[in-house]
Amino acid sequence: MASIRLERLTKVFGTTRAVDGIDLAIPDGEFVVLVGPSGCGKTTTLNMIAGLEAPTSGDIWIGDTRVTDWEPGDRNLGMVFQNLALFPHMTVFDNIAFPLRIKRLPHDAIAARVRAVADTVHVGRLLAKRPATLSGGEAQRVALARTIVVQPSVFLMDEPLSSLDAKLRVEMRTELKRLHATLRSTFVYVTHDQAEAMTMADRIVVMHQGRIQQVGRPLEIYGDPVNRFVAGFFGVPAMNFVDGELRLEASGLHFAAPALGVALPGRRGAAGAAVLGVRPEHVRFADGPEAWPATVSLIEPLGDETLVFLDYGGPASLVAKVGAEEELAVGDRRSFTFRLDRLVLFDLEMGGRIVG
Amino acid sequence: MRRRRLFSLVRHVLLLVWTAVTLFPIYWMLITSFKHSGEWVTWPPRWFPHEPTLINYVKVLTPGTSTFELGRQTLKILKPLWDSLIISTVGALVAVALGSALAYSWARFGTGGRNYPYNILSIRMVPPIVIAVPFVVYFATLRLLDTYTGLILVYVATCLPYVIWMMLAFIDEVPVELERAARLMGASRLRVLRSVVLPLTASGLVVTFLFVFILNWSELLLALTLTNTEVSTIPIQLNKFQSANEGRDYGPQAAIGAIATLPVVVLGFLIQKHLLRGFSFGLLRK
Repeated sequence: MASIRLERLTKVFGTTRAVDGIDLAIPDGEFVVLVGPSGCGKTTTLNMIAGLEAPTSGDIWIGDTRVTDWEPGDRNLGMVFQNLALFPHMTVFDNIAFPLRIKRLPHDAIAARVRAVADTVHVGRLLAKRPATLSGGEAQRVALARTIVVQPSVFLMDEPLSSLDAKLRVEMRTELKRLHATLRSTFVYVTHDQAEAMTMADRIVVMHQGRIQQVGRPLEIYGDPVNRFVAGFFGVPAMNFVDGELRLEASGLHFAAPALGVALPGRRGAAGAAVLGVRPEHVRFADGPEAWPATVSLIEPLGDETLVFLDYGGPASLVAKVGAEEELAVGDRRSFTFRLDRLVLFDLEMGGRIVG
Repeated sequence: MRRRRLFSLVRHVLLLVWTAVTLFPIYWMLITSFKHSGEWVTWPPRWFPHEPTLINYVKVLTPGTSTFELGRQTLKILKPLWDSLIISTVGALVAVALGSALAYSWARFGTGGRNYPYNILSIRMVPPIVIAVPFVVYFATLRLLDTYTGLILVYVATCLPYVIWMMLAFIDEVPVELERAARLMGASRLRVLRSVVLPLTASGLVVTFLFVFILNWSELLLALTLTNTEVSTIPIQLNKFQSANEGRDYGPQAAIGAIATLPVVVLGFLIQKHLLRGFSFGLLRK
């Protein structure tokens, strides 16, 4: 059993609270991604689970055991580091064999297991090489092999793909997911890349300023963010935010901003300052009385889709994601509306979600 | 293209001239050590010994204490040579062992506080003569004057800053993740040192040892102050040629000079591979 439980986990460096009292339960076998901007405390959290940093307060449980002050080597964890941490003075074989030698396995058993693991991650022919002569992808696989070889119950990964080029990163993403399906171990993966989080995670833990902002399945986080930070962090291009205010009118709730007014029938809420959030794919061209006129100020074709920057008279332009077949030119006058059911509202000051 | 070749030519000529200037005294020392007394100060100078001889080496390397011969004292250096070797080697070994341990614990655990390496560097800011005199007083009380232990202790103390600073650079080259990875695999702190840190800093240790050995080997002032008759080092012997009588004994002087230079050159060649690796920082993949 290798579930992980964090209780009021806190880490203070000098005067900064890097991790600020987080609670998290990770069930056995889950692929959890900790995601957030740099300095949000995700790596510190991972290092505390690994035992490389001692928590200032709080507890860490692995399975039913409290491991808060256990040595890293006693926790039965495997970790892949951002820089991979392959031993440069050892061959690939010796790198993979290193954890087995520490466990004092017999010579033959070590050789057999190293070969078996090396074959599963396709580095069998590299065993005699030194890490410095490997390509980025090969080094990545060797680091994985060295972690898998001891069959840990929990895998910790600290941005392991960040040193790879974009194409390889996408390939390795798939491969890691496949590996998780084969091993059925618990994976805790740290990244600042929201795309990695979305594509790989069973559940995403969004962190910001040492605190957990939201925990949920990828589509939950994307479609139903709890606050403005989470909403803005996920999605490329980022969600459009329009500052304005909520008014209660006879027809129902109404959002008003300079040059923009949206009726929100069926929604409840209190009047006051608010932020309207709308994802680019929920901005659409339309005609009619409900639509607002705008000028196309910039076009970014992505191939399958096109990003259109619309000047509608507000302080910033709105980004819309439209089909690539849409014929557009800078300077065109177009009208647009929103998909009303997908609009989200946030408190202007605190950034919290206004649900209603 | 032609300009670049001209520049390259000028540069090489300048470097050759400079090499000749720096190597000439060593050349002169070497050929003088193989000359008979009649050729030491002839005019015009002899660029090669007329009859090469080993007599100067035989004189200085004969066992026994220094003897007077025709009013001139010929120095016997077998004992000082042995003393120099022991003191320099043991001093360097102890300094490297202590200093690298200090550097490691400061780099990884912040032992001694943030300013520790800077504080210890202040040892080197004092002119050696300033500490030499108090050391005479201390050592007289502790009966360490004129002993191996005394000189070794002083050499360890004065070399520690060099060792710490050199080893800090080498330890910085070892990414801390390597040690963390090993720890996660269950390696003890000692195992991490043995299997990861030591192999990756081996070149650095060798280079540092060589550097400190050479410092000790050529140190004069402290050795002169803290020894008397029992213990003596090669630089002290060379210094004895300052007097009116021995000052003209150029052949044996050159022989001792050549012998003093030899270990440094031999060591340099032996560990050339390590020197290259050690001084080319940044070889490890970060």
